[in-house]
Amino acid sequence: MKRRVAITGMGVLSPIGLSVPMFAENLQRGVSGLGTITVFDASTLPSRIAGEVPWKGPIARDRKLTFALEAAQQAMTAAIACGSRPNGIGTLSLGIGLELFSLDDMAELRAGGEPVHKDPAARLTFLQTPSDICAHDLAHKHGLTAPPRLHVSACAAGTDAIGTGYRLIATGRSDWVLAGGTDSMIHPLGIGGFCKLSALSRRNADPASASRPFDRGRDGFVLGEGAGMLVLEPLESARRRSAEVLAEVCGYGNSFDALGISEPHPEGRGAVQAMQRALADAELRPEQVDVINAHGTATPKNDPVETLAIKRVFGDHARRIPVCATKSMIGHLISAAGAVEAVAAIVGLRGGWVHPTINLNDPDPLCDLDYVPHQSRDWPASVVLSNSFAFGGQNASVIFRRADAA
Amino acid sequence: MDPRLKSASLDSVVLSGMGCAIGFPSPSEPYLKTPKNRKFMGKQDHLAVCAAGRALESAGLAPAALGPHAGLFLAVGFIPFEREDIDALVGASLAGDRISLRRFGTEGFAAVNPLLTFRCLPNMPAYHVSACFDIQGEYFVTYPGAGQFYAALQEAIDALNAGRIKIALVGAVADQTNFLVSHHYQRIRPEVAPSDLRDGAGFLILETPAEHSARDGAIRGRLLDLETAYKPHDPFSEELDPSEKFSDRALEGYFGAASLPVALATAGSGRLEHDLRTGDGILARSTWEIG
Repeated sequence: MKRRVAITGMGVLSPIGLSVPMFAENLQRGVSGLGTITVFDASTLPSRIAGEVPWKGPIARDRKLTFALEAAQQAMTAAIACGSRPNGIGTLSLGIGLELFSLDDMAELRAGGEPVHKDPAARLTFLQTPSDICAHDLAHKHGLTAPPRLHVSACAAGTDAIGTGYRLIATGRSDWVLAGGTDSMIHPLGIGGFCKLSALSRRNADPASASRPFDRGRDGFVLGEGAGMLVLEPLESARRRSAEVLAEVCGYGNSFDALGISEPHPEGRGAVQAMQRALADAELRPEQVDVINAHGTATPKNDPVETLAIKRVFGDHARRIPVCATKSMIGHLISAAGAVEAVAAIVGLRGGWVHPTINLNDPDPLCDLDYVPHQSRDWPASVVLSNSFAFGGQNASVIFRRADAA
Repeated sequence: MDPRLKSASLDSVVLSGMGCAIGFPSPSEPYLKTPKNRKFMGKQDHLAVCAAGRALESAGLAPAALGPHAGLFLAVGFIPFEREDIDALVGASLAGDRISLRRFGTEGFAAVNPLLTFRCLPNMPAYHVSACFDIQGEYFVTYPGAGQFYAALQEAIDALNAGRIKIALVGAVADQTNFLVSHHYQRIRPEVAPSDLRDGAGFLILETPAEHSARDGAIRGRLLDLETAYKPHDPFSEELDPSEKFSDRALEGYFGAASLPVALATAGSGRLEHDLRTGDGILARSTWEIG
């Protein structure tokens, strides 16, 4: 018997908000968080724009580590606002970004050998901070005593982290889970690497309009950064300790395309499988889904294939479902994308609105669903499905339900 | 240790195949479904494809289309980067002895092979294995050490028990004889000398008993016991004391994430016990009957 899984805390750091309320307000208003890169001098790169987190506080060694710590603290604060903590064994399930080495440290190595510092912290942070350190720091700070689940399924990692956390609770393998994702690839190697793959938008002159999911004029994605974290626990436990139930996680599925390395399956096979598996897991019919938070990268190949996959799964109902792309406002947060978009899906579900897909001025004829262009819409909904599809053919879908909708 | 962290349902999975690839170059050629993908493949990708192919052969599942009922559960080692790639990038980005980001954006950026990104990303071995063997079922791709292989194993057992898949490829791959990972292992625990680092991958094939008996497959071994635990710690101030022991022998060299599947794939008949305490706080024990 599967246990029902409640969300009792959320936290977010994003290009359009450093807290859940600020993020929700800017989502609803359709505010773009994209701009010219300031965290390093990108002026000679082909793409010079990104969605930076406007974080003014100290950086704890590494941006993605800083974001994860702050988002987790927000989520935990919300989860314990009722006066008690989630009980029992806790597990961290985290989507994490790549460790990107410091060019300055590398130049130092070339010039003078290979220094290995004696101080433990310096040993860990010289050259690069291993990404898994973030998980252990979070587990230590929040008393998570089970082996962490770390996800490196690239753009699907945040959704996989939430889905795995949901399963750990649903099957009784964990009592509560801190689940989410964190990433910052706004780094010379991150931006440079994606430029090399011609994956990034080059609309440098007008960053706010550069991320254009489903638009005919889209020319690639814009990198973003940030973190999203959820506290998950059994619904019964949440009720017992009088925690506010923000929503439920009720279904999850993932799949491989098993085909192309950098392009989706042309018929959306893997995306279809991920959505269908999530629906089957949630024991929902396609007609019961009210909103879809799309992967919506604004790459030429993703958007039409995601549209096709939605039509294959939802049939005629596809045209009645609002499909929104959070990336139009915050860019692509890679390993954090699914987690931050989960927060976007849940705040809309709770508020009875769907956020807009901004910059959708001239829809691609192959993208012919209702993408909620320009302005948010009042839309009382019970169930929202969120998609994340990774470079390398890893696809993940997760379903959230209003707390009072079961 | 909380009893729920033991895998209570080990009887419901069958170990039907094992395979590994040690060192490089590894003969992945027979398994490449799309030879043009070779240009995208790094060492870790070749190792993973080769080990997975050998494991499938060992299971009597000749490398073929496995489809939506097969899942992949993979632990990948730290991100590899070769010295010559770094030298090309950094050398072309220098102004004097300092990095110039303006030069990076022009000369440094231009000096990098565009395919390099594909060859070092941690989700690429999973891609190549899925594409070569048409694995369309669920996945769990994790990182970076031997402790995370246990997480992959537990998630595979859960997926089989829940009936979401019928066949699980559970593996690990570690490309470690490169500049970046070698440097890494001089800074983290366990500290490993570059000469002791090994490149390797290992895969296990787990099946549900129903699937296994339906195709009349051979049993290669059994997982008798599995426990995991975790010691939360401050990674910046607390250095844990890692250790790894196999009951019957020591592996020659350090295989990182791939140590247990490589040990299993190279073990003779008999019982093998593995006792692991990692530098990142994971404690794991397993007992296997091979042959």
